[in-house]
Amino acid sequence: MSITVLGVSHRTAPLEVRERFAHEPREVPASLARVLAAGAGGGVLLSTCNRTEFYLAEGDDAVPEVVWALLSERLGGGRNASTYGYTQRDRDAVRHLYRVSAGLDAMILGESQIQGQVRDAWETSKAQAGPVLHRLFQSALLVGSRVRSETGLATGAASAPSAAVAVAARIFTRLAGRSALILGAGDMAELAATCLVSEGVRVTLVANRTYERARAIAEQLGARALTLDEAWEHFADADIVLSSTAAPHAVVTWDRVAPAVARRRGRPLCILDLGMPRDVEPSVAQLENVFLYDIDDLQAVAAQAAAERRGDIPAAERIVSEEVERFWAWYGGLVVVPVLKEFRERLDQVRAAELERTLRRLAHLSPDDRGEIEHFSHALLNKFLHQPTIALKEAAQAGRGYGLLEALKRLFGLERRDEG
Amino acid sequence: MVLVPHLIALGLYALATALALAPFAGLRPASRALGLGVPLLGLAAHVIGVAQLTPFVGVAPTLSMLALFLVALQAASEGLFRASAVGVFTGPLATGLLGLALLIGLAPEGAPASGRGAWSILHITVSVFGLAMLALAFIAAALYLLQFHELKAKRFGPVFRLFPPLERLDQLNHLSLVLGFPTVTLGVLLGFGVQYAGGASVDAAQVVWGMLTWVVLGWAVGVRVVRHWAGRRAAFASIASFTAVLLVYVALKLAAPGTQRFL
Repeated sequence: MSITVLGVSHRTAPLEVRERFAHEPREVPASLARVLAAGAGGGVLLSTCNRTEFYLAEGDDAVPEVVWALLSERLGGGRNASTYGYTQRDRDAVRHLYRVSAGLDAMILGESQIQGQVRDAWETSKAQAGPVLHRLFQSALLVGSRVRSETGLATGAASAPSAAVAVAARIFTRLAGRSALILGAGDMAELAATCLVSEGVRVTLVANRTYERARAIAEQLGARALTLDEAWEHFADADIVLSSTAAPHAVVTWDRVAPAVARRRGRPLCILDLGMPRDVEPSVAQLENVFLYDIDDLQAVAAQAAAERRGDIPAAERIVSEEVERFWAWYGGLVVVPVLKEFRERLDQVRAAELERTLRRLAHLSPDDRGEIEHFSHALLNKFLHQPTIALKEAAQAGRGYGLLEALKRLFGLERRDEG
Repeated sequence: MVLVPHLIALGLYALATALALAPFAGLRPASRALGLGVPLLGLAAHVIGVAQLTPFVGVAPTLSMLALFLVALQAASEGLFRASAVGVFTGPLATGLLGLALLIGLAPEGAPASGRGAWSILHITVSVFGLAMLALAFIAAALYLLQFHELKAKRFGPVFRLFPPLERLDQLNHLSLVLGFPTVTLGVLLGFGVQYAGGASVDAAQVVWGMLTWVVLGWAVGVRVVRHWAGRRAAFASIASFTAVLLVYVALKLAAPGTQRFL
């Protein structure tokens, strides 16, 4: 019995490789079925934009080859996926998943999205996970929650889009219900808009140089489309302006927006300029109650939060270690019972065979004497088994049972019988 | 017995101040329960102490009561507005005021003024509470200006992270002024009532200061409510009002020093 993780992540593979390994939820059952057919006792596939990992229980030696072959097919070009990957076994595999769930292995340290992705992976793979991985993923979610609640690993905004939300949240009491105006159609603005919408901000207006492009985005967000020239007067009523145009120079100038800002009667306006080069003239920040932040500012917020989070790594790692030991104690206990049962049966077979042979040679003994000898054989076997049984159970409870079990299986040939 | 609860309150206020300031020294912020619980415990001890201050005469009891109301308003701000940063100001202020009261001596000096009856006590209590509201408005305004400055300057340090959002501070300032004004009005009216009923002697200084507080606070409320000032302008108005009230008090006190009477 073992637990293994095989996969690739942002630490081992570039984005163009990772995106080839990424599985849609509908693809997961078929991939897992293929791996299970190769001898895995259970499997869960965790696939995000930053990692694709197969968690396997009771894998045969052939299983890793099947996983790498499967991933290599997706990679194409005759390339071997294993050159981008890693394999962790047993305690290390458990620790790996716990660290992933806690956000310790994330691209943005402590990011919480991974917790939901671990849950989704478990839900998608539930039918193929088996009891050990079922328990492992349940505990991984608890570890993630524990790390986030007991340490500061998830505090602050550690990415530019989440920093945009953090900055707006320092200006407005509540973000829910605030109106946002989006200028341009850049990817970063879309990401930041998604973050703001998740906080309850309403994107009411989308303006772009070309009206058609503005309308396409506005339809997605349930907003009204405008041309850029129509947008300036809406600086009087929007709470947040998110700008990411492809213009080679500043399009939001003092002259264009100052009259509208003057009509705000002191209400704050948060302008998030995510354009590169910048879309907003720096002098706009001088307008009363206008708070202007560009991409460098947001990255500074994110970098600061990330630096603060790093101070919580030791505490988070301690929690992970504690929970790995807890899981391993359970796992050791789980595997010890069937192995002990088999160990006892094997020795009892030996006892019975030797007793039969002995009694054949001692045919002159009375039934009572034969009974005594049989009783003696049982007692002797129990005496011999008592200490190893106690030691194994204690070791399992202490999380050290797995190594002893492996030794026992090897010494008494239980492993060969398993394979047979 | 007056001293012990005051000393306990002083210790707990000092601890609450340390907890409020700790994040600014790079330490982990205290939990909300602790941040709220410690000043509330101090407040409980303080209430017991203030309740025993009879007769209620002199600067020290008034300072003690002002400290008590400040901590009560701090707890209310934290509970209603999640404005724990208010404690950064109210904590040291309340600790200082209570410490000063203890240094001056809480026991009344000499014979108590005549007619310190229930109405007189009510007048003092309501007036001091109004003053505490004005102080809270000042604190919210100061926090607003600090946060405003940090946001404009794009500095994302402890003030950015630990202070409440600008809008919430503006709301706290607004609410403090709007509730503080009728409170001060009631305090002034009670003062006149007590005087004309012949219950207590009122000096000209008290009348001047009471009326000035009322007028200044009325102006600060007026510009917010009638002229719709908000944000930075309203914050400056609050700070100017409170500073004016404080400076006039200091001037009047310097003209007639002594700790036997508040004014």
